[in-house]
Amino acid sequence: MKKLKTAKQKIINQQLEIKNKIGSIEIEVGWFRRVFHTFAASFLIYYLLPDESLINMLKIYFVVGIVFFIFILEYLRIKGSLNSSNFFGLRIYEEKRPASYVYFGVATLVLLLFFPQQIAIPCILCACFSDPIIGEIRHHYGKKEAYIIGFFVCIFFFLITWYTAEIWIILPVSLIGASAAVIGEAKKFWLIDDDFMIQMLPAIIILLLWLGFLFGGINILPAELILPI
Amino acid sequence: MRKETEYLKKEKGNAKLRRAELWLAPLLILAPILVSAFLINDWFVRSFSTGISRYDGELLLAVIILAGNILFDIPFIKSLKTSSRK
Repeated sequence: MKKLKTAKQKIINQQLEIKNKIGSIEIEVGWFRRVFHTFAASFLIYYLLPDESLINMLKIYFVVGIVFFIFILEYLRIKGSLNSSNFFGLRIYEEKRPASYVYFGVATLVLLLFFPQQIAIPCILCACFSDPIIGEIRHHYGKKEAYIIGFFVCIFFFLITWYTAEIWIILPVSLIGASAAVIGEAKKFWLIDDDFMIQMLPAIIILLLWLGFLFGGINILPAELILPI
Repeated sequence: MRKETEYLKKEKGNAKLRRAELWLAPLLILAPILVSAFLINDWFVRSFSTGISRYDGELLLAVIILAGNILFDIPFIKSLKTSSRK
């Protein structure tokens, strides 16, 4: 009888150990994805690099090269030439479609190359920091709380980037930009990832706003935040 | 029903993948710190030492990048430590 009890206890302990191990891997993957997001803020160094024709060309080649490399990896993974289990932190729904880092890379590339930095910087910051903050808060406290806090974090990024603009510009731009970023994050599509939408939706809306005002003879863009060395 | 947030289960265990993650960890942690340091240095040289406030935005951005990364790096490093002990 005693032997049976010890064996039972041993099995329970082993089960608990396995459960803890699986749990720690899940947590680790979560943090790995979050840190990948925050790491992407490093790409803002792009704006600090010298503004010379040769370096400008190298900058563009480098950024396009990274995204091209990601595209090739993803093509091989989805085609089956590379096993999905070789990619750390993939979600189940990303197995048969491009993973979120592809969308993140494409959106960042488009913003860096085609948008003024006053629009690109807050949108990239929203994807780098608001997205993981929303994710963490959603995990611990719930969706509503996550989006409310995420909204204020996004507003903060727009306020910081546009701080040299006049108050009648900075307030609506921050409110519109932050709302668009949170909607981009909250609205889930199967094909278009939220990492793309959180960057592109506010960027396109503010770009249209800027072009609209420019058409009326008013330039609402503030001074650039980062000047090339 | 499978949850949307579930991660792909690995067929051959996690050892190889964890190694890849460990190789990437220094880059993920150090690159943003270096970029922040570079921005702060540039702000110090072009703005603080010359008294021109035109470059203050670089300091704000550097602080955001640094603080945001440290906020997420600490739990990431803790999770790496915990998993490597097991």
